[in-house]
Amino acid sequence: MLANVFLKTLRDQRRSLMWWGIGLVALTSLTMAFYPAFSDAPDFDEIFEQMPEALTKMFAGEFTDLTSPEGFLNSQLFFFVVPLMFVIFAVLAGSAAIAGEEGAGTLSLLLTSTTPRWRVVVEKFGAVAVATLALALFLWLGLAAGAVAVDMDISLLGLAAASLSTALLAVAFGAFALALGCITGARGLSAGAASAVAIAAYFLNALAPLSDALTPLQKLSPFYYFIGADPLTNGLNALHAGVLLALTAAALGVAVLAFERRDLHG
Amino acid sequence: MSAVIQLEGLTKHYGSARGIVDLDLEVSEGEVFGFLGPNGAGKTTTIRLIMDLIRPSEGTARVFSLDARRDATLIQARTGYMPGELALYGGLTGIEMLKYAANLRGGVDWAFVEGLAERLDCDLSRPIGTLSTGNKHKVGLIHALMHRPELLILDEPTSGLDPIVQRELHRLLEEVRAEGRTVFLSSHILPEVESLCDRVGIIREGRLVTIQQVEALKESALSHLEFHFAAEVSADEFSSLPGVREVTAEGTVVRCTVSGSVDAVVKAAALHEVLDLVSHEPSLEQVFLAYYTGESGDAG
Repeated sequence: MLANVFLKTLRDQRRSLMWWGIGLVALTSLTMAFYPAFSDAPDFDEIFEQMPEALTKMFAGEFTDLTSPEGFLNSQLFFFVVPLMFVIFAVLAGSAAIAGEEGAGTLSLLLTSTTPRWRVVVEKFGAVAVATLALALFLWLGLAAGAVAVDMDISLLGLAAASLSTALLAVAFGAFALALGCITGARGLSAGAASAVAIAAYFLNALAPLSDALTPLQKLSPFYYFIGADPLTNGLNALHAGVLLALTAAALGVAVLAFERRDLHG
Repeated sequence: MSAVIQLEGLTKHYGSARGIVDLDLEVSEGEVFGFLGPNGAGKTTTIRLIMDLIRPSEGTARVFSLDARRDATLIQARTGYMPGELALYGGLTGIEMLKYAANLRGGVDWAFVEGLAERLDCDLSRPIGTLSTGNKHKVGLIHALMHRPELLILDEPTSGLDPIVQRELHRLLEEVRAEGRTVFLSSHILPEVESLCDRVGIIREGRLVTIQQVEALKESALSHLEFHFAAEVSADEFSSLPGVREVTAEGTVVRCTVSGSVDAVVKAAALHEVLDLVSHEPSLEQVFLAYYTGESGDAG
């Protein structure tokens, strides 16, 4: 695990990944334990529809059909809680990758050990991406196990598509946090600013449909490309996934260019 | 001899006063070069420019005739570096940290690493986070030496080391020199530089004040002698001796400031009964003073 920067960065994340994985499995199994109660009581849909639209939109988007497996999972997990956890994980990892090591001072030795700067950034990004995908695997396994346990009629492929879409969203924000770290060298700033943008993007996607004027702006939010095409029901939308990948590539490009140019702090 | 390090008009501006200005410097192959200056003078800035951790505002740095910026990784492959503010991976053991560094460099002779650890009396099996400052420093030194680099760049290498380990480091540097490799080390301690280096560059407030052979530096340095005589002795007996800059007499105690050799003063004092003799190492500020007052002979 110490053969190169990529593996070393993954090694650094192994404990954090384990705890996030445990938390995620706990969350999904607890949520799915409530599914039989929901599906046996169609009244839930009515109650949900009577709630203020802004409130339901804020935390469930268009997913107001609570009693179907897809509607339940989308509204209770995939719209809000799961992407929130993934984005936090990836933002923390992305901001730690360069700016964290810079703050700790260890980057001075790493950058004088014959690995070019661009490669350090790319390998560290690779580790963040792989760790996030591993988290998505935990999520998928947790959901699949849960679906079997509560006898939920849901496609395992759909679950995989939604889990992957979540990972793509999170990696994009992780790359954004990495880029901020590469530009500023400040870990806290990068994590904070990336989180703030993620929160704004979330609400833009969730609430823009409430206003005709704002509706077109929804497509500016990365969250739209994560959940807008409902990957749980329809499978991964290639175009939407492509947008998330393009955002990630752009952020990584900025990260490399910025880091190649600037003075190391400390 | 070819130049291993060549700095030309190297300048680094920071927002306010810090940084370095128009630094010209050449270090030849096989030379042990001391970079001497008080804290904050620009030693670390210069070293970080050479290592491509920061980039110059103006001027160029070349190492092995390669551009410090464009060919950084080629230079790094042949250079061992120890930063002044050493930070290692606290969660790794010494072995893990050094294996990681060795892997990044494409492998090193591990028996050599173990030999270094033994000589420096460094326990590599413990997590670095649990080591004392001195022991962390040893890991940093091994890290700099492990790939047998042609050039060693050490930023304040002996700070935090106990005297025994300092001596071992001096011996290691002697070996490096004997093998014809080049050392560039910074320090704010004059005697350390005197004992280790062939040539010394003195930097102050970002500017190179002078570059001298160590011998010349010693000659121009001031020493302070304090004689305790058995009886009262007049200051006049010393004031006109060669090299004497200042004499005060207080009863039986005479204090002299001497530049260069103290021979004449000691011989004059020996005419009386000397109860005690105290000699102070000249401080760095006093060496600077010798330059700025311009009474030290061939400055520059």
